[in-house]
Amino acid sequence: MSGSTTVTLSTRIRKRVSGGNRIMRMLLHRWDARVAIIILSLLTLSGVAPEALVGPLQTATTATADALLPPSGTHLFGTDDLGRDLLNLTVHGARISLVVGALSAAITLVIGGGIGMIAGYRGGRVDALLMRVADTFLILPTFVLALILAPILRELIGDQTEIFGIRTTLLTIVAVIGFTSWSSTARIVRSQTLSLRERTFVERARLVGLSPMRIIARHIFPNIRTVLLANGIVVIAGSILTESTLSFIGLGDPFQPSWGTILGNAQSAAAPSLGAWWFIAAPGCAILITVVACTVIGNAIDELLDRDVRVRR
Amino acid sequence: MKARRWLLGRFGGAIATILMVLILNFVLFRLMPGSPDRALARNPRVSAAAMEAARVRWGLDKPIFPDQLIAYVGATITGDFGYSVKYGGREVTSVIGEKIGPTLLIVGLGELIALAAGIALGAWTGWRRGRFGDRVGTLGALILYSMPYFWTGMLLITLFATTLGWLPTSGITTPGGPGGIQGAIDLLRHAALPIATIALGLIGQYAILLRSSVAEALREGYVLTARAKGLRDERILRGHILPNALLPTVTLAAINAGYVIGGALTVEIVFSWPGLGLLTQEALQSRDYPILQGVFLLLSVSVVMTNLLADLLYSRLDPRVRHGAAR
Repeated sequence: MSGSTTVTLSTRIRKRVSGGNRIMRMLLHRWDARVAIIILSLLTLSGVAPEALVGPLQTATTATADALLPPSGTHLFGTDDLGRDLLNLTVHGARISLVVGALSAAITLVIGGGIGMIAGYRGGRVDALLMRVADTFLILPTFVLALILAPILRELIGDQTEIFGIRTTLLTIVAVIGFTSWSSTARIVRSQTLSLRERTFVERARLVGLSPMRIIARHIFPNIRTVLLANGIVVIAGSILTESTLSFIGLGDPFQPSWGTILGNAQSAAAPSLGAWWFIAAPGCAILITVVACTVIGNAIDELLDRDVRVRR
Repeated sequence: MKARRWLLGRFGGAIATILMVLILNFVLFRLMPGSPDRALARNPRVSAAAMEAARVRWGLDKPIFPDQLIAYVGATITGDFGYSVKYGGREVTSVIGEKIGPTLLIVGLGELIALAAGIALGAWTGWRRGRFGDRVGTLGALILYSMPYFWTGMLLITLFATTLGWLPTSGITTPGGPGGIQGAIDLLRHAALPIATIALGLIGQYAILLRSSVAEALREGYVLTARAKGLRDERILRGHILPNALLPTVTLAAINAGYVIGGALTVEIVFSWPGLGLLTQEALQSRDYPILQGVFLLLSVSVVMTNLLADLLYSRLDPRVRHGAAR
């Protein structure tokens, strides 16, 4: 008897999990999401293999062109104040911006998802305390907190080493963004968990005697994956924006420049008052396009999930 | 009774948040490379007597918890934020105090313009949802929302200051410029682009928020009733939909205030506008942690206050909140 219950239970869960794939398929039916996915794929491609597209990253010593050349046949996006090709810089910047954005988003989702599930499942005092902290982080100017934390963290770890080819300067940025932007994810995950907790399959798992951690891992998490995915894409957009702002202010890494670092260089080279619009245009448009594409996909998934819920009711 | 408990809860929450910020600041203070006295020791101009004074003041010869924490919280509450490293040991409060005015000017005016324009754009796109105008307006709002503030500022300088030459590129006044009314005009000419940058960054956010609440309100029964009564569209929108749709915008705008301020700080860097943003960047470059913490604390407290105000306003506008009926 109990054996057959487990079987139906697991098939039912598997059915619900496949909802993620269904959402993916439905996404491809929307033209706006399709365009956004294509754009993001192209950007990811340039992030994965920038050398194949534009050669190695140009530096002050390897740059050959004159300084601040406007766009032309040889330099499609123009050159910067050191004579580096802006197409080269922007394509290489894609790698840093996307990797830092994605890693920060991953940390944000792990912290936010974890706290949200624990708060929602445990309820009571744990929930009240965790949500109090989450609300504080939601309200606070976390960007300013990130500004303070990044240099402190950097002085603590030092910035001379690399981990998996990523310099620790960038890793501190990843950690800081993750630490400061988890609160909205935690809120969303918590409210999902609250309603899941009352569902019969979770109650049954509880009766069978599974530990809370197991229930969260086996029964709660698979059911919030799609919500987490939708949120994750929006979080990536936010992380890329935050990263570019931090790098613009000068917390980026000059040896691994992101789009924000390039814009920071443009600012210190006084590009706006020299009228060097191409120095500003290329990296800025890259940020804009990425963030808009992520937001469009996130909104599309949200709308599909919304319709899903309404149809099921 | 319920309303009073609600009010107390709000105030208690705000105080708890500020306390949490203080503790966070304290932890950062201890975490940072070189505790307060070692930070002072890096500054060659600080005398041994001053070091000793700092030691006594922060209770550095006593345990971190609870003595140092109490000393820190006590000092901060009485307005003692410590001393700036960069500004030759001047008090943090006085350094920051000078910079609040310029920041308030551009953030305040930018916010007002953005609210008005964002509400107009959001109401219009929400009302015409699904049609061509809505698509264009919503895409425009999304693009504005996705542009980093500093980038918008750089583009505006390139276009309006450098290429067209209509407005100055940076600074707050022309050095040695005239006083009086001429001086005020000069100040406004300098402030125009920073204000426009902040306004442009915020319009998208408000428009997107209001559009979704207007679209939601359109599905409500009372709109159908108003239509059935034969009211004109404009009356329905102004008298029936907007009062309801504005509420979520108020709260969400308040929650987002902290995020907005962070972005607005970078605008000052682009325009060399002598406010808190420029101060923050300078402090960052010279590792002037007391200033950074002071800025963080000041902004946190103002954001918490903004949220408290928004909550009180919300409860005035929607009594259900006070009586715990909503949600």
